[in-house]
Amino acid sequence: MGPEGVLSRPEDLMLYEYDGLSALEMPEAVVFPTSTEQVVRMARLAAARKMAITPRGAGTGLSGGSVVTQGGIVISFARMKKILEIDLENQRARVQPGVVNTDLTLAVADDGYYYAPDPSSQKACTIGGNVAENSGGPHTLAYGVTTNHVLGLEVVLPDGEVIRTGGKCWDLPGYDLTGLMVGSEGTLGIVTEVTVRLLRTPEAVETMLAVYDRVMDATRTVAAITAQGITPAALEMMDGFTLRAVEQATHAGYPMDSAAVLLIEVEGLREAVKEQAEQIEAICGGNRVRSVRRAKTTGERALLWKGRKNAFGALGRISPNYYVQDGVIPRTKLPEMLEFIEQVGKKYDLQIGNIFHAGDGNLHPLLMFDARDRDQSQRVVKAAQEIMKRCAELGGSITGEHGVGMEKNELMPLIFSEDDLELQRQIKALMNPTGSFNPGKVLPTSKMCGEIRVQVSAGG
Amino acid sequence: MSRMAEAVWAELAGIVGEAQLNAEASVCEAFAVDGQTPGCVVSPGSAEQVAQTLDYAAGHGLAVIACGGATKLGIGNPPGKFDIALCTRNIANVRYYEPSDLTAGVGAGMALDELQDLLKADGLWLPLDRSASGKATLGGVVATNASGPLRQFYGAPRDMVVGMQVATTEGKLIRTGGRVVKNVAGYDLGKLLIGSYGTLGVITEVNLKLFPLPAERQTFVLSTGTLGIARDVRRSILTSPIEPLRMVLLDAETAGLVHSGVQSDRLKKTEPQIWVEAGGSKAVIERTLKELDALGRAVGSKVHAYEREGAEKAWQAITDFSNWIGKRYPGAVVLKGTMPIAHSEEFLSLAQQEAQNEKVRLASVAQPGVGILHLGLLDLQNATQSAGLISRIRKAAEKSGGALIVISASPDVKAQVDVWGTPGTGSELMRKLKATWDPKGTLAPGRFVGSI
Repeated sequence: MGPEGVLSRPEDLMLYEYDGLSALEMPEAVVFPTSTEQVVRMARLAAARKMAITPRGAGTGLSGGSVVTQGGIVISFARMKKILEIDLENQRARVQPGVVNTDLTLAVADDGYYYAPDPSSQKACTIGGNVAENSGGPHTLAYGVTTNHVLGLEVVLPDGEVIRTGGKCWDLPGYDLTGLMVGSEGTLGIVTEVTVRLLRTPEAVETMLAVYDRVMDATRTVAAITAQGITPAALEMMDGFTLRAVEQATHAGYPMDSAAVLLIEVEGLREAVKEQAEQIEAICGGNRVRSVRRAKTTGERALLWKGRKNAFGALGRISPNYYVQDGVIPRTKLPEMLEFIEQVGKKYDLQIGNIFHAGDGNLHPLLMFDARDRDQSQRVVKAAQEIMKRCAELGGSITGEHGVGMEKNELMPLIFSEDDLELQRQIKALMNPTGSFNPGKVLPTSKMCGEIRVQVSAGG
Repeated sequence: MSRMAEAVWAELAGIVGEAQLNAEASVCEAFAVDGQTPGCVVSPGSAEQVAQTLDYAAGHGLAVIACGGATKLGIGNPPGKFDIALCTRNIANVRYYEPSDLTAGVGAGMALDELQDLLKADGLWLPLDRSASGKATLGGVVATNASGPLRQFYGAPRDMVVGMQVATTEGKLIRTGGRVVKNVAGYDLGKLLIGSYGTLGVITEVNLKLFPLPAERQTFVLSTGTLGIARDVRRSILTSPIEPLRMVLLDAETAGLVHSGVQSDRLKKTEPQIWVEAGGSKAVIERTLKELDALGRAVGSKVHAYEREGAEKAWQAITDFSNWIGKRYPGAVVLKGTMPIAHSEEFLSLAQQEAQNEKVRLASVAQPGVGILHLGLLDLQNATQSAGLISRIRKAAEKSGGALIVISASPDVKAQVDVWGTPGTGSELMRKLKATWDPKGTLAPGRFVGSI
C-alpha cells in the first residue's frame, strides 16, 4: 500500500473511531487501498494474523457499521473512487466503492440520467457504503432502496478469493449473491466494485410544501394520497419542532408557526405530473391544510430539499447531541405511532423531533439530549428502545435504511425468531468463518433480546 | 400406491392426511420431470405440514421437488432423484391484506390470477402479467422470479417481495424480511430464495408490496420492418420521456401466432412488431401516442392502437410464450437469453442466422427494454442438432456478458447441454449455500446451476 496508504498515529486514527452514530474504539491502523489486489492482500493478512478488518466509505453511517468493535484495521475506500464505466445505452455504470453518491448522478446528469437512491448524506456518502447498508433516501418511495439498483458486484471474501456476482443484466443464473451481499454491512465480504442501473431523468417534476396547523391532518393527508392510488416520488414529513430548527439553519421558507409540513414531490411525464399535483392539492385541501406552496423554480425546489436533507445537521445546532432512529411501521399506523412517540417523549422528559419518510412509513424520530447529562443519556436509550419495540409490535421493522450495525444488533430478536437468526448465523459462518470481517455487527451476540448499543456520549 | 413403499405412504399420510396424498400413476405422471415420475404427490394444507414433510424426506433420503401450478416445473437439469412432488396449491389463504398500506401476505399456493382478482376490487394489483393458463402461483412466481412484459416498468418479483416464510429441510419455518415496504434488518435471505427454483427451501408464504392499478391502459403496435428499425425504435422509446408499462418485440413468426388467436386485420403479420402498453390518465395515453407517432414516423413505422379486450388476451399469450410454444409444437426447445439491453436486437439477429443455417424455424418474444429474450426453436430434427444450436446461441449471449438458459427441452437434449450454462466465479459459494440450507440434497437434487 505504500507509506501514504497507511495511517497509524493515534491523532490520525481518532478520526476513524466514529461515524454518524457514535464512537467506540480506535482502530489500530487505517489503510487506503487503491486496488482490489491490495484489498485481497489485506484480507489474507487479516486471516493469517487473526485480525479484524472493517471496511469504511465516508463514515456517514448511522448505525456504527464502519466503526471497529474490537480494534483491528479499517480499510478506507477513499482512494478507490473511480467511475470505471458509464454505459448509457445499457443504462448502467460500473464504479469503485469509494465513489460519492452524488458524483455518480453528476457524471450522467447532462445526458439525462441519474442514480436513484439518495440518502440525505449523498454529497458525502459512498456507493460502497450504500451497498453495505442497503441505503435508502426520500426517493426510495417510488424507486426502491439500493438493492433495487445494484446488479453486480466484485467481492473480496475473507479468505482472499475474489468473486464477481451478477453483472450488467438481470436474471443471471444461480443464487442472487448480489442480493445477499447488499445490506450485509461488510460482514460477508468486502465490495470492491459495483455495477448499478441508471434511470432516465423524468421530464417534469413538481415539488410542493403543504403546511399544517395540526400534525394529525398531515398524517391523514399521507394516508389519503396513498389511498387514492398516487405514488409520489417522495413524501416527507417534518413536525413543527424540527421544521423550526431547519428554518433557522437553512431559511428554506418553512413557516415557523406551523405544526407540521409535508414535502411532496411528483415526477414523470408532464401530463401526469400536472394531474397528480392537482389531485394532491385537492387531498391536502380536504385535510385542513393551511397552505400548499409549489416550488416555482429549480432554485426554490433545491432550497426546499436542502432544508429536508440538512435537517439532522440543523437539529445538531440546537441540541448538544441527538440520537436518530430508523423504525418502520405500516403507513396506516402513522397517526397512532406519532402519538406514541409523543407519549414516550413526555414519559422520559425528552424533546423528540420527527422527520419521516412518511410515504413508506419509515420514521426518523430524533431524540435530543446532552451527553454530559448521564441520566438524560440513559433516558434516551430507554425511550429509543420503547419506540423500536412499538415499531416491531405494529408489524414493522427496527431499520428501514440505516442498517443494524452495532447499534441495533441486540434488538434483532424483536423481529426475528431464534430459528430465523440461527439461519442468518449459519450464512455468516459459511461466508466469514473466522469472523474477521467487521465483527460485532448485524447479528446479536446473545440469544436474549438485549439493549441498544449506542455510545451516546459522542452521539450527534 | 403401487409406486411407493407402504411405510413411506403411512408416514406421509400421518403428516398431511390421506386426502392430501396421491400416488395414482396418472396423477404422478402429470408431475414427471425429464422422464422421472415421482412416487407420490403431497399437497400439504399448512406451512407446518410442508416443514414436516421436508423433515421426513430429508431424514429418509427422499428427493422432493416443490411446485405450485407446475407451469415452470420443467425448468432445470434432469433431477438426480425424484421421489415426492410437493404441491403448495392447498396453502392459498390470505394471511393479511391492508389495501391502504398497499401490502398483503398470502399463502404460496395462491394463484397469481386469484390474487389479482382480489386486489382489483380495491383498485390495486401486483404488477406481474397474468398468463393465459392462469395457473401460476405466487410461490412459484417468486421461486422462479418469473416476470413478463410488465417488467419494463414495474420490475420483477424480486422488487415486490418484502418478506417470506419458508420451510427448510430441517423441518423449520423461517421468516425473511417482514411486512413493511422498507426494511434492511439482517441478511436479506429472501433474495437467495427468489429465483432459487425451490432448491434451498419451500416458500410457504409471500408478503408483497402492492401498487395502484393504472386508470387507463392502451396498447400500441408498431410494425418495424427489420431488426435494425426495431433497434432504432427501442432506442427512441427508451430515450423519450414516455414510460411504457410493457414493451416487447415480436418477430414475424410470433406476431403471426399471436394474431392467429387475436384478430386484427389492419396489421401486417409478416413483419417484426414492437408492442407498447401505456398506462395512466387519458392525457398520458394521448401523449404516449403522440410520441410514438413521431418516433415511428422518423423510421417509417406506423402506429396502430389495439382494441382493449383483444390486447389483454394477446399480452397473456405473449406472457405464456414458453408454455404455449411447447404445447403447440411438441419437441420445440424454448430458451431464455438475458443480456445488456443494447445487445437485444443484435443477439436476436445472430440467433435467427444460426436457426436459418440449420433450417430451423425460430419464434421469439424479446423485451428489448430489459434485455430479456425468449426464443422458441421449432421443427428441430434431433437432439444433437438442438444441442449444437443451443450452444452456439448461448455463445452469442455470453459474449455480451449475458447468459442463456434452457426453459424447455427434451431429456435427450438436456443430456448434451447444461440448462444453466457455465457457472461463474460464485459457483463454489453457491454450492456451499445450498449445503447450508439443504445439507442432505433433498430439494430438486442436481437441477440447479452447476448441478447443485
